[in-house]
Amino acid sequence: MSTLPKALSEQDADFQQSNASRRQRMSVWFYGLCVAIALISVVVLVVLLVSIWVQGQSRLTADLLMNSHSELDIERSGMWPAIIGSLFVCGVCALVALPLGVGTAVFLEEFKPKAKPLRWLHGFVQLNIANLAGVPSIVYGLLGLTVFVYMFNIFGQIKVNESSGWELMGANHKYQVLSLETGNVVFVPQTDPDQRQITIDQPVQGMDAAGDPIEIEVWQPGTPKPTDPAVRRRTVRSGAIGATVTEKSWYYFRLPLDKSFLAGGLTLALVILPIIIIASQESLRGVSPSLREASMGLGATTWQTVRDVSLPAALPGIMTGSILAMGRAIGEAAPILVVLGAAVAKNAGPQNLMDNAVTMPVLIYNWAGRQQDEFKELAAAAIIVLLVILLLLNSAAIIIRHKVQQSQS
Amino acid sequence: MHHVMSRFSHGNQIWKAVAAAMVLFGAVGCDRKQTAESDAPAVAEGAGGDAAVSNLSGTIKINGSSTVLPISNAVREEFIKVYPNVTVEVDGAGTGNGFKDFQKKATDISDASRPIKPGELSNCNENGVNFVEVPIAYDGLTIVVHPDNDWVDTLSVDQLKKIFVGDDAAKMWSDVDPKWPEEEINIYSPGTGSGTFDYFREVVLDDSDASMRTDMNLNEDDNILVQGVAGNKYSIGFFGVAYYEESKDKLKAVSVINPKDGKAYQPTTENIAANKYAPFSRPLFIYVSTASLPRAEVKTFVDYYLANVSELCEQVGYVRLPAEVLEKGKENLENEVTGTHFVTAEGESRSGPLVENFKPENLTKEVSQ
Repeated sequence: MSTLPKALSEQDADFQQSNASRRQRMSVWFYGLCVAIALISVVVLVVLLVSIWVQGQSRLTADLLMNSHSELDIERSGMWPAIIGSLFVCGVCALVALPLGVGTAVFLEEFKPKAKPLRWLHGFVQLNIANLAGVPSIVYGLLGLTVFVYMFNIFGQIKVNESSGWELMGANHKYQVLSLETGNVVFVPQTDPDQRQITIDQPVQGMDAAGDPIEIEVWQPGTPKPTDPAVRRRTVRSGAIGATVTEKSWYYFRLPLDKSFLAGGLTLALVILPIIIIASQESLRGVSPSLREASMGLGATTWQTVRDVSLPAALPGIMTGSILAMGRAIGEAAPILVVLGAAVAKNAGPQNLMDNAVTMPVLIYNWAGRQQDEFKELAAAAIIVLLVILLLLNSAAIIIRHKVQQSQS
Repeated sequence: MHHVMSRFSHGNQIWKAVAAAMVLFGAVGCDRKQTAESDAPAVAEGAGGDAAVSNLSGTIKINGSSTVLPISNAVREEFIKVYPNVTVEVDGAGTGNGFKDFQKKATDISDASRPIKPGELSNCNENGVNFVEVPIAYDGLTIVVHPDNDWVDTLSVDQLKKIFVGDDAAKMWSDVDPKWPEEEINIYSPGTGSGTFDYFREVVLDDSDASMRTDMNLNEDDNILVQGVAGNKYSIGFFGVAYYEESKDKLKAVSVINPKDGKAYQPTTENIAANKYAPFSRPLFIYVSTASLPRAEVKTFVDYYLANVSELCEQVGYVRLPAEVLEKGKENLENEVTGTHFVTAEGESRSGPLVENFKPENLTKEVSQ
């Protein structure tokens, strides 16, 4: 202090005092402002949760969890098929998006090419991903519609009564014929998949719904009708038309994917892919270069370095990004509405690979738009369920991340 | 980050973790059928003792109007209780989108809240899609005022235009009719996204370039509309016919002057069914592809639809059709009478009430382009 000029060291004590306290006050205010801003988001969240809770808590019943959507018995409508549907769709999404996303990030961060055309490609991919992250999800919905649902019509269009696309496995075609007993049918095996209708005018070998062979009788109009229900159930009117029905095993697969939960999951994978890539890239970038250099210095190849050094070190960050991305996927309604449609009447989750699915956001969207109060309360209750499921999935993922981190240290 | 080095040779740990995460996200649940189904009354079919559950199977695809969606959903819900092996997929992408799917042969049945348009018909012709047009129910909307409102009992479409159309629309009741009080009009309307709003707009705008006034109280919640109108003597509002029934004691329904006969009609079920409550009631349709009718599941479903739609449509808030119109629809279906009653052979849309148009002589199978 003694080296300071006199004018400075002997500055007005009051001025010094007031200046310091003013700056200090500013600092306190700014701190207060930051807290207030941070609180706003918390308050909004609390208001949202409370209002949803107040609206929906009366509908949080076992019915909501176990039943399916009902128009006629609104009180007992439920969201079981939607919960299962969402899990299926998001499962497909995770299975596709995580490997692809992490793989792309590894390529972009760890395998930086030296040759000029490759560098150009590298930069191009990087630029594209940055742009794709900002594309609204409805656009991905339209993309998914062309690429997954219709598959550019390469495999033909799916038309009722004409074509089911390229059925690769799990399809068993048979002709279904109405029997004389109302509401009962008999089946005739189908050999030619292109012949979708037959006419039955003489007794043939057929089968029942379980696939057991039965002898199908033909009744000629004008002759006495059989009266025994058992006989009536295997008798058809002469000239009865049998039309194709397809019995589908769970692994039923055909192209194009049409409005199936697979198409929905693949579309959602497109939506979250850029998010996962960018999060993984950031995380890989955060790994200290000295680790990589040490690994390389010990003679490890790039692949070995990635597998044993960079990726394990970056894993917590990658998982955090993936959790956030999956949270987004499970809540997306727009692309699902485009790809799977707005259908909500379904009594179970997907029955085969090509089956449609109802997802929670679409069901909530539908219920919230209804005019009956019951549906609005149900929508609020469904939102609570969606949030709880989201929290459960997230906490499970966080626990796994924690375990991984622990096993590394 | 030095700890990472200790795992130098055990990197496969992370693959396990990733796999575990995937399994978790893809938690595969077993399917459980709706529990409500099990306590549904078992419907005995025919005389057979154990014939209660039908073995009919197959898949039926339906798309179209979101207005018709609740009706089709309701029919589906009852249908699969009797025919549990049939899958009925009902989507509600809108009448226009429904017809697009129908033309492409992507659906068996198309739900519609308006008759098919000439362009859609010619597309069907081109693609070889033949259909039976079946009216199934009426949709209508009610215009309501405060019960103490003693100056409005009837309104004409022109008066409604004065109240609802354009930003220069009437501010005071006296702007509509000088004899009415000099008080501000309070308007309550369903949100712009609702089918009810669209339908009302279609009627009062009548294909003109004008737009609805923007200073209305818009709300998707019908209760708020009811409260709004019930809470202010100088208010007016509108919503679907079904929802007026629930708040009859709090509101007064306005009679609307039918432009055809100049008489005012209340929005009662009888007036709607007799097509007197015009232009604020409209018929709803299903269009059934004849190529699908030979299929046992489609034929059974459509028969079931027409046998039960009158009861079911009332449960979800619509008005049943006159019995003779429904019968005519059933007959057309039975005889596979294809074509529409609402497009002329020259390719013009036919307007006017359902009962007048729904006659064999108006049937058009193809439009000449």
